[in-house]
Amino acid sequence: MLKRPTSKRKSKNQQIELNLVPILDTMVTLIGFLLFTTSFLAIVSIESPFPETNSAQVEKKIKERPLQLTLSLREKESELWSPFERIPSKVIPHATPELPTGVPQPDIKKIHDALIAIKQQFPEETQLILVPNPSANYDLLIGVMDTARAIEPTDPPLFRKNPKSGNSETIKTLFPEIIFGNLLETEGGA
Amino acid sequence: MSFRKSIRGRRGRRRVSSHFELQLTSMMDVLVIIVVFLLKSYSTATNQFSAMAGVQLPYSFSQDSPPDSLHLILTPEAMTFENERILEFTRSAGDVGTSDASYSLRPSDTDEGGRRVIPLYDALIKARNKSELLRAKSTKRDAQGNPLPFEGVLAIQADKRVHYDTIRRVMYTAGAAGYKVFRFLAMKKE
Repeated sequence: MLKRPTSKRKSKNQQIELNLVPILDTMVTLIGFLLFTTSFLAIVSIESPFPETNSAQVEKKIKERPLQLTLSLREKESELWSPFERIPSKVIPHATPELPTGVPQPDIKKIHDALIAIKQQFPEETQLILVPNPSANYDLLIGVMDTARAIEPTDPPLFRKNPKSGNSETIKTLFPEIIFGNLLETEGGA
Repeated sequence: MSFRKSIRGRRGRRRVSSHFELQLTSMMDVLVIIVVFLLKSYSTATNQFSAMAGVQLPYSFSQDSPPDSLHLILTPEAMTFENERILEFTRSAGDVGTSDASYSLRPSDTDEGGRRVIPLYDALIKARNKSELLRAKSTKRDAQGNPLPFEGVLAIQADKRVHYDTIRRVMYTAGAAGYKVFRFLAMKKE
Protein backbone atom coordinates (compact mmCIF):
# COMPACT_ATOMS: atom_id res chain seq x y z
CA MET A 1 0.00 0.00 0.00
CA LEU A 2 1.34 3.35 -1.01
CA LYS A 3 1.59 6.12 1.52
CA ARG A 4 -0.01 9.49 0.84
CA PRO A 5 2.50 12.30 0.21
CA THR A 6 3.09 14.41 3.28
CA SER A 7 1.87 18.00 3.48
CA LYS A 8 5.54 19.15 3.59
CA ARG A 9 6.20 17.73 0.16
CA LYS A 10 3.05 19.35 -1.12
CA SER A 11 4.00 22.85 0.05
CA LYS A 12 7.48 22.58 -1.45
CA ASN A 13 6.01 22.36 -4.90
CA GLN A 14 3.54 25.20 -4.38
CA GLN A 15 4.50 28.63 -5.79
CA ILE A 16 3.94 31.56 -3.45
CA GLU A 17 2.78 34.68 -5.22
CA LEU A 18 3.01 37.98 -3.39
CA ASN A 19 -0.02 40.18 -3.91
CA LEU A 20 1.54 43.40 -5.17
CA VAL A 21 -1.68 45.24 -5.95
CA PRO A 22 -2.14 46.97 -2.55
CA ILE A 23 1.56 47.93 -2.49
CA LEU A 24 1.14 49.34 -5.97
CA ASP A 25 -1.88 51.36 -4.84
CA THR A 26 0.14 52.82 -1.94
CA MET A 27 3.01 53.69 -4.25
CA VAL A 28 0.78 55.49 -6.72
CA THR A 29 -0.88 57.46 -3.92
CA LEU A 30 2.51 58.35 -2.43
CA ILE A 31 3.87 59.50 -5.79
CA GLY A 32 0.80 61.65 -6.36
CA PHE A 33 1.17 63.26 -2.93
CA LEU A 34 4.91 63.89 -3.37
CA LEU A 35 4.50 65.33 -6.84
CA PHE A 36 1.78 67.63 -5.60
CA THR A 37 3.67 68.94 -2.58
CA THR A 38 7.31 68.94 -3.70
CA SER A 39 8.89 72.18 -4.73
CA PHE A 40 11.73 71.47 -7.12
CA LEU A 41 12.92 75.10 -7.12
CA ALA A 42 14.48 75.76 -3.74
CA ILE A 43 14.12 79.29 -2.45
CA VAL A 44 16.76 80.59 -0.04
CA SER A 45 17.03 83.84 1.85
CA ILE A 46 19.58 86.38 2.99
CA GLU A 47 18.59 88.24 6.12
CA SER A 48 19.32 91.89 6.79
CA PRO A 49 18.15 93.94 9.76
CA PHE A 50 16.79 97.47 9.50
CA PRO A 51 19.51 99.87 10.71
CA GLU A 52 18.61 101.42 14.04
CA THR A 53 20.65 103.82 16.08
CA ASN A 54 20.30 106.23 18.94
CA SER A 55 22.47 108.93 20.49
CA ALA A 56 23.86 106.55 23.16
CA GLN A 57 25.01 104.12 20.48
CA VAL A 58 26.60 106.92 18.47
CA GLU A 59 28.51 108.16 21.53
CA LYS A 60 29.65 104.61 22.27
CA LYS A 61 30.86 104.20 18.69
CA ILE A 62 32.80 107.46 18.81
CA LYS A 63 34.53 106.25 21.98
CA GLU A 64 35.20 102.68 20.85
CA ARG A 65 35.98 103.49 17.19
CA PRO A 66 34.83 100.15 15.75
CA LEU A 67 35.82 98.92 12.30
CA GLN A 68 32.32 99.46 10.86
CA LEU A 69 33.45 98.05 7.53
CA THR A 70 31.60 99.77 4.70
CA LEU A 71 31.32 98.73 1.07
CA SER A 72 30.19 101.51 -1.22
CA LEU A 73 29.12 100.53 -4.73
CA ARG A 74 29.42 103.51 -7.04
CA GLU A 75 28.88 103.95 -10.77
CA LYS A 76 32.48 103.26 -11.78
CA GLU A 77 34.12 101.79 -8.71
CA SER A 78 33.61 100.08 -5.37
CA GLU A 79 35.25 101.18 -2.15
CA LEU A 80 35.93 99.34 1.08
CA TRP A 81 36.49 101.75 3.92
CA SER A 82 36.02 102.37 7.61
CA PRO A 83 34.44 105.63 8.87
CA PHE A 84 36.80 105.51 11.84
CA GLU A 85 39.81 104.94 9.56
CA ARG A 86 40.67 101.58 11.11
CA ILE A 87 41.78 100.33 7.69
CA PRO A 88 43.21 102.15 4.68
CA SER A 89 40.48 102.79 2.13
CA LYS A 90 40.58 100.42 -0.87
CA VAL A 91 39.11 101.44 -4.19
CA ILE A 92 38.29 98.63 -6.62
CA PRO A 93 37.49 99.69 -10.19
CA HIS A 94 34.56 97.94 -11.85
CA ALA A 95 35.27 94.97 -14.10
CA THR A 96 35.32 95.61 -17.82
CA PRO A 97 32.11 94.31 -19.41
CA GLU A 98 32.38 91.33 -21.74
CA LEU A 99 30.32 93.08 -24.41
CA PRO A 100 31.33 96.56 -25.63
CA THR A 101 27.75 97.73 -25.04
CA GLY A 102 27.67 96.29 -21.50
CA VAL A 103 27.66 98.32 -18.32
CA PRO A 104 30.71 97.98 -16.01
CA GLN A 105 29.78 95.97 -12.93
CA PRO A 106 31.54 95.73 -9.53
CA ASP A 107 34.43 93.30 -9.57
CA ILE A 108 32.98 90.66 -7.25
CA LYS A 109 36.17 88.55 -7.19
CA LYS A 110 38.42 91.46 -6.18
CA ILE A 111 35.90 92.61 -3.58
CA HIS A 112 35.86 89.11 -2.10
CA ASP A 113 39.68 88.97 -1.99
CA ALA A 114 39.80 92.35 -0.27
CA LEU A 115 37.19 91.19 2.26
CA ILE A 116 39.24 88.06 2.98
CA ALA A 117 42.31 90.22 3.68
CA ILE A 118 40.27 92.41 6.07
CA LYS A 119 38.80 89.35 7.81
CA GLN A 120 42.33 88.04 8.40
CA GLN A 121 43.09 91.32 10.12
CA PHE A 122 39.78 91.49 12.05
CA PRO A 123 38.63 87.89 12.59
CA GLU A 124 35.99 88.85 15.17
CA GLU A 125 34.22 91.30 12.86
CA THR A 126 30.97 89.99 11.40
CA GLN A 127 29.21 93.12 10.16
CA LEU A 128 29.35 94.85 6.80
CA ILE A 129 27.58 98.09 5.92
CA LEU A 130 26.50 97.98 2.28
CA VAL A 131 25.95 101.27 0.47
CA PRO A 132 24.83 100.47 -3.09
CA ASN A 133 24.26 102.84 -5.94
CA PRO A 134 20.49 103.48 -6.47
CA SER A 135 20.80 102.08 -10.01
CA ALA A 136 22.28 98.75 -8.81
CA ASN A 137 19.90 95.92 -9.54
CA TYR A 138 18.70 93.16 -7.21
CA ASP A 139 20.85 90.56 -8.98
CA LEU A 140 23.97 92.55 -8.18
CA LEU A 141 22.89 93.09 -4.56
CA ILE A 142 22.43 89.35 -4.03
CA GLY A 143 25.80 88.67 -5.70
CA VAL A 144 27.58 91.19 -3.46
CA MET A 145 25.84 89.92 -0.32
CA ASP A 146 26.81 86.36 -1.26
CA THR A 147 30.45 87.27 -1.78
CA ALA A 148 30.53 89.20 1.50
CA ARG A 149 28.98 86.36 3.52
CA ALA A 150 30.44 83.14 2.20
CA ILE A 151 33.95 81.72 2.41
CA GLU A 152 34.74 79.76 -0.73
CA PRO A 153 36.68 76.47 -0.71
CA THR A 154 39.51 78.14 -2.64
CA ASP A 155 39.94 80.88 -0.03
CA PRO A 156 42.81 80.66 2.46
CA PRO A 157 41.73 79.19 5.81
CA LEU A 158 40.67 81.78 8.38
CA PHE A 159 40.99 81.25 12.12
CA ARG A 160 39.82 82.98 15.25
CA LYS A 161 40.73 82.40 18.85
CA ASN A 162 37.95 81.00 21.00
CA PRO A 163 37.92 83.23 24.10
CA LYS A 164 36.63 80.40 26.31
CA SER A 165 38.92 77.53 25.34
CA GLY A 166 41.81 79.61 23.98
CA ASN A 167 42.02 77.33 20.94
CA SER A 168 42.01 78.48 17.34
CA GLU A 169 38.88 77.58 15.42
CA THR A 170 38.02 77.86 11.74
CA ILE A 171 35.84 80.74 10.62
CA LYS A 172 32.99 79.52 8.46
CA THR A 173 31.44 82.82 7.35
CA LEU A 174 33.00 86.08 6.25
CA PHE A 175 30.67 88.99 7.14
CA PRO A 176 27.23 87.42 7.63
CA GLU A 177 25.54 90.52 9.08
CA ILE A 178 24.84 92.86 6.19
CA ILE A 179 23.14 96.17 6.87
CA PHE A 180 22.11 98.67 4.24
CA GLY A 181 23.64 102.00 5.08
CA ASN A 182 21.83 104.48 2.88
CA LEU A 183 18.14 103.78 3.47
CA LEU A 184 17.44 107.35 4.54
CA GLU A 185 18.84 108.98 1.41
CA THR A 186 16.41 110.30 -1.17
CA GLU A 187 18.61 110.87 -4.21
CA GLY A 188 18.31 108.90 -7.45
CA GLY A 189 15.41 107.72 -9.57
CA ALA A 190 13.63 104.38 -9.37
CA MET B 1 -17.61 28.47 -42.15
CA SER B 2 -18.52 31.53 -40.16
CA PHE B 3 -19.85 29.29 -37.38
CA ARG B 4 -16.47 27.52 -37.13
CA LYS B 5 -14.63 30.82 -37.06
CA SER B 6 -16.70 32.17 -34.25
CA ILE B 7 -16.14 29.04 -32.16
CA ARG B 8 -12.40 29.22 -32.77
CA GLY B 9 -12.41 32.87 -31.84
CA ARG B 10 -14.27 32.23 -28.60
CA ARG B 11 -11.90 29.39 -27.69
CA GLY B 12 -8.90 31.61 -28.37
CA ARG B 13 -10.25 34.38 -26.19
CA ARG B 14 -10.93 32.00 -23.36
CA ARG B 15 -7.40 30.64 -23.54
CA VAL B 16 -5.83 34.10 -23.28
CA SER B 17 -7.98 35.17 -20.34
CA SER B 18 -7.21 32.04 -18.36
CA HIS B 19 -3.36 32.37 -18.64
CA PHE B 20 -2.77 36.10 -18.79
CA GLU B 21 -1.08 37.63 -15.71
CA LEU B 22 0.11 41.22 -15.42
CA GLN B 23 3.79 41.38 -14.45
CA LEU B 24 3.80 43.92 -11.64
CA THR B 25 7.38 43.39 -10.43
CA SER B 26 9.02 45.59 -13.06
CA MET B 27 6.38 48.25 -12.53
CA MET B 28 7.07 48.12 -8.79
CA ASP B 29 10.77 48.65 -9.48
CA VAL B 30 10.04 51.78 -11.50
CA LEU B 31 7.68 53.15 -8.86
CA VAL B 32 10.15 52.52 -6.05
CA ILE B 33 12.82 54.46 -7.97
CA ILE B 34 10.41 57.36 -8.52
CA VAL B 35 9.40 57.39 -4.84
CA VAL B 36 13.04 57.38 -3.72
CA PHE B 37 13.86 60.26 -6.10
CA LEU B 38 10.87 62.29 -4.91
CA LEU B 39 11.64 61.66 -1.25
CA LYS B 40 15.26 62.71 -1.84
CA SER B 41 14.23 65.98 -3.46
CA TYR B 42 11.35 66.56 -1.06
CA SER B 43 11.72 69.81 0.79
CA THR B 44 10.54 69.83 4.38
CA ALA B 45 10.61 73.63 4.52
CA THR B 46 7.57 75.14 6.17
CA ASN B 47 7.09 78.07 3.86
CA GLN B 48 4.80 78.94 1.02
CA PHE B 49 7.39 80.75 -1.11
CA SER B 50 7.71 79.67 -4.70
CA ALA B 51 9.02 81.14 -7.91
CA MET B 52 6.28 83.30 -9.40
CA ALA B 53 5.69 83.23 -13.14
CA GLY B 54 7.32 86.20 -14.85
CA VAL B 55 9.66 87.00 -11.95
CA GLN B 56 13.32 86.36 -12.72
CA LEU B 57 14.90 85.59 -9.37
CA PRO B 58 18.67 85.86 -8.91
CA TYR B 59 20.70 82.89 -7.69
CA SER B 60 22.36 82.74 -4.29
CA PHE B 61 24.78 80.39 -2.51
CA SER B 62 22.92 80.93 0.75
CA GLN B 63 21.75 77.78 2.53
CA ASP B 64 19.14 79.48 4.72
CA SER B 65 15.61 78.34 4.05
CA PRO B 66 13.20 81.20 4.79
CA PRO B 67 10.53 80.53 7.42
CA ASP B 68 7.02 81.66 6.60
CA SER B 69 6.48 85.40 6.88
CA LEU B 70 4.73 88.29 5.17
CA HIS B 71 5.65 88.29 1.52
CA LEU B 72 6.29 91.17 -0.87
CA ILE B 73 6.90 90.58 -4.56
CA LEU B 74 8.62 93.28 -6.59
CA THR B 75 8.61 93.16 -10.36
CA PRO B 76 9.82 95.97 -12.61
CA GLU B 77 6.17 96.83 -13.26
CA ALA B 78 4.33 96.33 -9.96
CA MET B 79 4.38 95.57 -6.23
CA THR B 80 2.38 92.67 -4.76
CA PHE B 81 1.91 92.20 -1.03
CA GLU B 82 0.43 88.94 0.26
CA ASN B 83 -0.91 88.02 -3.20
CA GLU B 84 -2.62 91.38 -3.62
CA ARG B 85 -1.35 93.88 -6.17
CA ILE B 86 -1.04 97.12 -4.24
CA LEU B 87 0.87 99.33 -6.64
CA GLU B 88 1.80 99.67 -10.30
CA PHE B 89 4.81 101.65 -11.42
CA THR B 90 4.56 104.12 -14.26
CA ARG B 91 6.59 103.64 -17.38
CA SER B 92 8.91 106.52 -18.26
CA ALA B 93 7.62 108.47 -21.29
CA GLY B 94 11.02 108.40 -23.01
CA ASP B 95 11.15 104.60 -22.92
CA VAL B 96 7.81 103.87 -24.54
CA GLY B 97 8.36 101.40 -27.37
CA THR B 98 11.78 100.24 -26.20
CA SER B 99 12.56 96.82 -24.78
CA ASP B 100 14.46 97.93 -21.68
CA ALA B 101 12.00 100.41 -20.27
CA SER B 102 12.42 101.95 -16.86
CA TYR B 103 9.61 102.16 -14.35
CA SER B 104 9.19 104.57 -11.50
CA LEU B 105 6.87 105.36 -8.64
CA ARG B 106 4.23 108.04 -9.10
CA PRO B 107 4.98 111.10 -6.94
CA SER B 108 1.43 110.82 -5.57
CA ASP B 109 2.25 107.32 -4.24
CA THR B 110 5.09 108.55 -2.02
CA ASP B 111 5.64 110.99 0.81
CA GLU B 112 8.47 111.93 3.22
CA GLY B 113 10.61 113.19 0.36
CA GLY B 114 9.83 110.21 -1.87
CA ARG B 115 11.13 107.68 0.65
CA ARG B 116 7.86 106.23 1.94
CA VAL B 117 5.50 104.36 -0.38
CA ILE B 118 1.97 105.14 0.84
CA PRO B 119 0.02 102.09 -0.50
CA LEU B 120 2.71 99.75 0.81
CA TYR B 121 2.77 101.49 4.19
CA ASP B 122 -1.01 101.14 4.51
CA ALA B 123 -0.87 97.44 3.58
CA LEU B 124 1.98 96.77 6.02
CA ILE B 125 0.21 98.55 8.87
CA LYS B 126 -2.97 96.59 8.14
CA ALA B 127 -1.04 93.30 8.19
CA ARG B 128 0.73 94.30 11.39
CA ASN B 129 -2.55 95.18 13.15
CA LYS B 130 -4.03 91.87 12.04
CA SER B 131 -1.00 89.96 13.32
CA GLU B 132 -1.04 91.78 16.66
CA LEU B 133 -4.76 91.10 17.07
CA LEU B 134 -4.21 87.40 16.42
CA ARG B 135 -1.36 87.35 18.92
CA ALA B 136 -3.52 89.09 21.53
CA LYS B 137 -6.19 86.42 21.10
CA SER B 138 -3.68 83.57 21.06
CA THR B 139 -3.02 81.53 24.20
CA LYS B 140 0.74 81.76 23.64
CA ARG B 141 2.25 84.22 26.14
CA ASP B 142 5.71 85.37 27.18
CA ALA B 143 7.19 85.03 30.67
CA GLN B 144 5.28 88.10 31.94
CA GLY B 145 2.00 86.80 30.54
CA ASN B 146 1.85 89.35 27.72
CA PRO B 147 1.03 88.42 24.13
CA LEU B 148 4.07 87.55 22.02
CA PRO B 149 5.57 90.65 20.34
CA PHE B 150 5.15 91.33 16.62
CA GLU B 151 8.07 89.71 14.77
CA GLY B 152 8.24 92.34 12.02
CA VAL B 153 9.80 90.15 9.34
CA LEU B 154 9.22 90.94 5.68
CA ALA B 155 10.31 88.59 2.89
CA ILE B 156 11.20 90.50 -0.27
CA GLN B 157 11.10 88.55 -3.51
CA ALA B 158 12.31 90.88 -6.21
CA ASP B 159 12.95 90.44 -9.89
CA LYS B 160 16.67 90.61 -10.60
CA ARG B 161 16.15 93.73 -12.75
CA VAL B 162 14.57 95.76 -9.95
CA HIS B 163 16.76 98.66 -8.91
CA TYR B 164 18.07 99.20 -5.42
CA ASP B 165 16.35 102.57 -5.33
CA THR B 166 12.96 100.83 -5.31
CA ILE B 167 14.13 98.24 -2.76
CA ARG B 168 15.48 101.04 -0.58
CA ARG B 169 12.10 102.78 -0.56
CA VAL B 170 10.43 99.47 0.31
CA MET B 171 12.83 98.91 3.20
CA TYR B 172 12.37 102.45 4.48
CA THR B 173 8.58 102.09 4.32
CA ALA B 174 8.70 98.73 6.09
CA GLY B 175 10.99 100.16 8.77
CA ALA B 176 8.54 103.02 9.31
CA ALA B 177 5.73 100.46 9.70
CA GLY B 178 7.66 98.56 12.38
CA TYR B 179 9.21 95.80 10.28
CA LYS B 180 12.78 95.34 11.48
CA VAL B 181 14.05 92.33 9.56
CA PHE B 182 14.17 91.79 5.80
CA ARG B 183 14.64 88.48 4.07
CA PHE B 184 15.83 88.76 0.50
CA LEU B 185 14.71 85.73 -1.45
CA ALA B 186 16.66 84.10 -4.26
CA MET B 187 16.94 80.78 -6.02
CA LYS B 188 19.35 78.29 -4.52
CA LYS B 189 22.55 77.90 -6.51
CA GLU B 190 23.92 74.35 -6.28
